[in-house]
Amino acid sequence: MGMTLIKWNEEAGRVRLALPSDLDLPMAQPLLDSLRAAFAVSADVTVHADAVERVSAACVQALVVAARDSAARGALFAVAAPSESFADACDDLGLQGWLKQWSQA
Amino acid sequence: MDDLSRFKQTYFDESAELLAVAEAGLLRLSPGDVDMDEVNAIFRAVHSIKGGGGAFGFSDLVAFSHEFETVMDEVRNSAIPVTTELVDTLIRANDVLAQMLAYAGEGVDAPPGATDDTVAALRHALAASGGGGTASAAPQTPPPATSAVNDDEDDEAGIFGDAMAAINAARDSEAPSPPPADRVRWTIVFRPKSDLLLSGNEPAYMLRALRRLGDAEIVCHLDDLPKLADLDAELLHLSWTITLTADAEVGRERIDDVFEFVADECDIQITADAPLPAVIAPPPKRDAPPNTPPALSESALVPPGATAAKTDGTAKPRGAGTNGGPGTNGGSGGGEHAGLTTHTIRVDLDKIDRLVNMVGEMVITQAMIAEHLRDVPPGQFQELQEGLEQLAQHTRELRESVMSIRAQPVSSVFSRMPRLVRECAALTGKEVQLATSGENTEVDKTVVENLVDPLTHMIRNSIDHGLESPDERERMGKPRAGTVHLSAQHRSGRIVIEVTDDGRGINRAKVLSKAIEKGLVQPGASMTDEEIDHLIFLPGFSTADQVSNLSGRGVGMDVVRRNISSLGGRIGVYSTPGEGSRFVLSLPLTLAVLDGMVISVGEERFVLPLTNIVESLRPKPADLHGLVNKCDVIMARGEYVRLVHLHRLFGIPKAIDDATKGLVVLVETEDGSRLGLVVDEVLGQQQVVIKSLESNFRRLDGVAAATILGDGRVALILDVAGLREMSRHSGDSASGGGRSPAPALPAPKSESRQRQTV
Repeated sequence: MGMTLIKWNEEAGRVRLALPSDLDLPMAQPLLDSLRAAFAVSADVTVHADAVERVSAACVQALVVAARDSAARGALFAVAAPSESFADACDDLGLQGWLKQWSQA
Repeated sequence: MDDLSRFKQTYFDESAELLAVAEAGLLRLSPGDVDMDEVNAIFRAVHSIKGGGGAFGFSDLVAFSHEFETVMDEVRNSAIPVTTELVDTLIRANDVLAQMLAYAGEGVDAPPGATDDTVAALRHALAASGGGGTASAAPQTPPPATSAVNDDEDDEAGIFGDAMAAINAARDSEAPSPPPADRVRWTIVFRPKSDLLLSGNEPAYMLRALRRLGDAEIVCHLDDLPKLADLDAELLHLSWTITLTADAEVGRERIDDVFEFVADECDIQITADAPLPAVIAPPPKRDAPPNTPPALSESALVPPGATAAKTDGTAKPRGAGTNGGPGTNGGSGGGEHAGLTTHTIRVDLDKIDRLVNMVGEMVITQAMIAEHLRDVPPGQFQELQEGLEQLAQHTRELRESVMSIRAQPVSSVFSRMPRLVRECAALTGKEVQLATSGENTEVDKTVVENLVDPLTHMIRNSIDHGLESPDERERMGKPRAGTVHLSAQHRSGRIVIEVTDDGRGINRAKVLSKAIEKGLVQPGASMTDEEIDHLIFLPGFSTADQVSNLSGRGVGMDVVRRNISSLGGRIGVYSTPGEGSRFVLSLPLTLAVLDGMVISVGEERFVLPLTNIVESLRPKPADLHGLVNKCDVIMARGEYVRLVHLHRLFGIPKAIDDATKGLVVLVETEDGSRLGLVVDEVLGQQQVVIKSLESNFRRLDGVAAATILGDGRVALILDVAGLREMSRHSGDSASGGGRSPAPALPAPKSESRQRQTV
């Protein structure tokens, strides 16, 4: 049984978090921990959402909070290459505008 | 109705289990020792009872559980301090909830005011907390039971597999389509409570369901979002306003359906903006009273607005229209029902326990007959002897079959572990693979229930202390992901559960130095590797240099061992440096029988659980040492052990007082301290059927339970930890200060009590 985990990559002061396929509720805490840790060490955090297949509102919420926090602190934050499922979930949650603002291809 | 009552029965059965969970949790809850996992479990139990109650329309029950839940929520948020008074109130609330369930089960209303006192106490607890952190949870009138389900519709529900889905489906499909008309614009304000996600609900799905009803414009409100540092990952702070433009045939009830199962977990306001067309026109069909007040008691949900009220009005005639259905559906449902119930039945646990008990009696009777026949000269009554042999065999098989009814596969525990592993892996930054085998191994229900805590802790321990970080593993030529293997199997009448990891193994040098530092081992003691490994089970032992997130709960392997011992089990560890560790649990398959050693003291017989016994010996006078106040200790295997004369403790006449003339049974309590019990004789090993002393007589100090021996005599099963307490308080063999058990006395030859404590 393989574990799908958030992958952490730190390079030249930038942190890249690769999101797993399953961003369900149990993943919310690990995601939040990772986001906190990322902003603790870097002012430039990118979250790669290309592999995401399932998303819970809790995980999207964590990303929204992280985005707002980064803006308030003048840090950089981006959601890179959002998968279709991720984008659909944002649509469902009325956050398509948010995603547009924070995503990069 | 059969089908519905079946669902209801399932609900009541499950609620009873949840109540038991909540009660057990509450009983363990004490000021200064609040286990948040426990608190969460209690909260969820109450929450689930409320949720199911809502679906069946038990409004009194829902109202009360809401009060209960609100307080638990505040406890969970640490907004209310846990005091003895609060715990008392909560336990009382749990009892009241049980009563409410009983009333609902009998289909009668609770007597008026039945919950008043307890509700008052709960609200008082809330008020005392000064409103708590989350103001929204302040006492409020609970939302009415989701209500959408009235009894008539319940009839429909039964024919489908699952009550909830069925109720939903029935309401979905039964709605006759009114004549198409203009489109209606709805405004829906959806404000979930923060704990919505914890009950397994996902707003994204609900919103998606709404989008399917028409053109939806969804606006997400972010005003209540906390800062990153303050966010609780599983609490929801988002809310939405949805503008839905849908065909007029999409009635209000379709929208209600979307929120049906979360109605009491959120604030929903639904208003129709455009005037409604002819929907009101169709006259109520059949015998539905023309002006039935809406059963959907939505007064709390419907905002002021005439149009909304009108849509409400339309809902009922439709609901009433479906009332014609049950006749036909009920019939086919009956047929299906018969097909469904052939493979398993749900049996009241009491009935099984009664059966177990009867079989126990039979085993005893059989043993008694065998005992009598032992005196018959060999060769006589040959056929009787053979028949009895067969009876013995059948009795044994019967007992095993009956015990197996109570058996459950361990998969119910194993299935919780993947999530745990994932969380631990994420917390520690390690990569972990969990492999399980033997999930279908069966063991007594009680044993299964008690496995969760020890296994949780052992797996945490393996990930936290055993596995290396991915980088470290790579350096050592191991795969980056560590493996934790959880297995179960039957072995010689016991269940053996192993937790194996391929991590770094136990760091013996560190364990030993820690043990010396903590005064658990004398410096310079010579110990085998295995003995060192087993030091981790000693009370108060922890190798973690820093308290990590995982092991910061103040629970050590000693607690695991104590839990396992209390189930009559043992735990051992085998470790190879650099290659990993293997924890092996062995547990009895049932808690209804016990492997015991029968001992005699004077005319009395006692049973000692085999798991407590280390050895028995006949001391020489030189081994015995008297201390001040005539306390006796015995030197056994290089260590001083306090002697306890059972006949003095229980006042038994005509017993051997001089230990050198009788026997000393060396026993060990669950926390590893030892006692020497002075007995007359050790009669032999026997499997005995456990009889509760409390339910048949009353509790006695130093006695765990009772049993009936082959000769029909009642024998008490001794509780070794209880004996130690008694001997400490009684004059007999009280050691000098009486403050600690004998093993605390240092032995001259340095090898102290760590020997084989497991």
